[in-house]
Amino acid sequence: MSNETTKIPVCPTSELGPGERKIIEHEGEFLAVLNCAGELFGIEDRCSHDDGPLAEGEIDQEACTVECPRHGSLFDLRTGKPKTLPAYQPVKVFPVEVIDDTIILEV
Amino acid sequence: MATAEVLAEKEKVQGINADYEEKFGFHDPETGYAYKAPKGLTREIVEQISEYKNEPDWMREFRLKALEIFESKPTPQWGADLDQIDFDDIHYFVRASEKVSQDWSEVPEDIKNTFDRLGIPEAEQKFLSGVGAQYESEVVYHQVNEKLEAQGVIFMDMDTALREHEDIVKEYFATIIPASDNKLAALNSAVWSGGSFVYVPKGVKVEMPLQAYFRINTENMGQFERTLIIAEDDADVHYIEGCTAPTYSTDSLHSAVVEIVCKPGSRVRYTTVQNWSQNVYNLVTKRAVAQERATMEWVDCNLGSKITMKYPSIYLLGEGAHGEVLSIAFAGEGQHQDAGAKIIHGAPNTTSSVFSKSISKDGGRSTYRGLLEVADGATGTRSKVVCDALLLDEKSQSDTYPTIRIGESDADMGHEATVSKVGDDMLFYLQSRGLSEEDASKMIVNGFIEPVTKELPMEYAVELNRLIELQMEGSIG
Repeated sequence: MSNETTKIPVCPTSELGPGERKIIEHEGEFLAVLNCAGELFGIEDRCSHDDGPLAEGEIDQEACTVECPRHGSLFDLRTGKPKTLPAYQPVKVFPVEVIDDTIILEV
Repeated sequence: MATAEVLAEKEKVQGINADYEEKFGFHDPETGYAYKAPKGLTREIVEQISEYKNEPDWMREFRLKALEIFESKPTPQWGADLDQIDFDDIHYFVRASEKVSQDWSEVPEDIKNTFDRLGIPEAEQKFLSGVGAQYESEVVYHQVNEKLEAQGVIFMDMDTALREHEDIVKEYFATIIPASDNKLAALNSAVWSGGSFVYVPKGVKVEMPLQAYFRINTENMGQFERTLIIAEDDADVHYIEGCTAPTYSTDSLHSAVVEIVCKPGSRVRYTTVQNWSQNVYNLVTKRAVAQERATMEWVDCNLGSKITMKYPSIYLLGEGAHGEVLSIAFAGEGQHQDAGAKIIHGAPNTTSSVFSKSISKDGGRSTYRGLLEVADGATGTRSKVVCDALLLDEKSQSDTYPTIRIGESDADMGHEATVSKVGDDMLFYLQSRGLSEEDASKMIVNGFIEPVTKELPMEYAVELNRLIELQMEGSIG
């Protein structure tokens, strides 16, 4: 298995304000960048409970979590770990950087 | 059969309802009620409940969000038929008394009579560490043994707990069962009222059980209690709940949410003996999380109700945790008991067992619906699932829907399922020993459920056997 990382340009910073998210598709997988009170987080757009979409859920900017829209599990955006059931396994998180006003997701 | 025998048999059959009426099926007049919300569920009703209880803002917001979730989720179509429930024809909040009493003599007379007839104060004196009695939407009486209180055990109704221990409630509330979990959990989250809050500090063992008794009195009422149990490290507690309702011609709804947190090394046993009247939809979400070396046990006895949908679940998330579900369901005429268990092995070296027993008679339908999951990385897990169904006649039905997902190759899983009928040869053998056909049938059924009854405190085992016998009466002939 390759350990190489790929840098994926997501969007200009101006398109992702606090509390907003951007979902992209990369090699058949859905990934997302979320802006939580000005800080950017990259996660996979998949709830570990039933594989449904995750990133379109409600973002709590204070607690830095996203809520699965289907069954309500809260995921910590920093670690990908669920803070509430029914999900109990973490989702993948990815580093995000900004280069020349473009948000880059490192996968 | 001779005419005299037929008449005697008929009397016995009629006797079943008469007994329920006398023991559980009566209802009290609703005069003197403090508050009864109009039928139907609106934002105003939810806000009114929250305001009436003088709740903090975060709880009001939680309720309102849950209402939106409830409205957006479709009624589940995968289990028992719930399409007959008219959610607009239900009183979502009925307050019978203005306050929670700690002295039995202060409980309003009508309500006191009800619980006297159900034997609650007597049980409290004899063998319980604490008692809660919920009448309609709210708890009317609560008492806990002084010695336990001194040890830091908290046992109170959820409304009081939200006022007096808001920090603990806020930390755990809806973390095990979020409002979005399912439509009925969302409904409960929007209009919850009453239920028990139990907190057992580190290392404290509660020797005698804590008990709560839930009673619906009003026709077309919904009872939505919310129970939260937290056992700190190495704590030990047994909680028992009992439920009844009067017999009405129209339906009532009971939709509870029970969340349990078993911290490392703790043990929680949660026993339910429900005997709802046959016009109650009983749709309950129960879930527990067991951390390292903790043990969680659900003992679930489902009698009565029109439809029950209940699948107690245990998330074994700490290494060495253990979970057990022991359940029996009795489905008589017009009843569908859709029950089961869910066990999630989310950590290594976790163990579990599920023993489910169902009995169907007079066209009743019992369903076992179970999930057993072993997560990737949960090595060294062991689990055994046994579900046995007993059919007492040709027109009754039993279904089994087990789902098993195994993520590790060294998991040791066993699943056994049997469906049996009370056979002529068994009856013949027992009758040859001098028993009547009816007594022989009762003996077979009692033997069938014995693995569950032996786990109950004696008073409950006796009561359960009596209830089963009551259900069995008149079944032969």
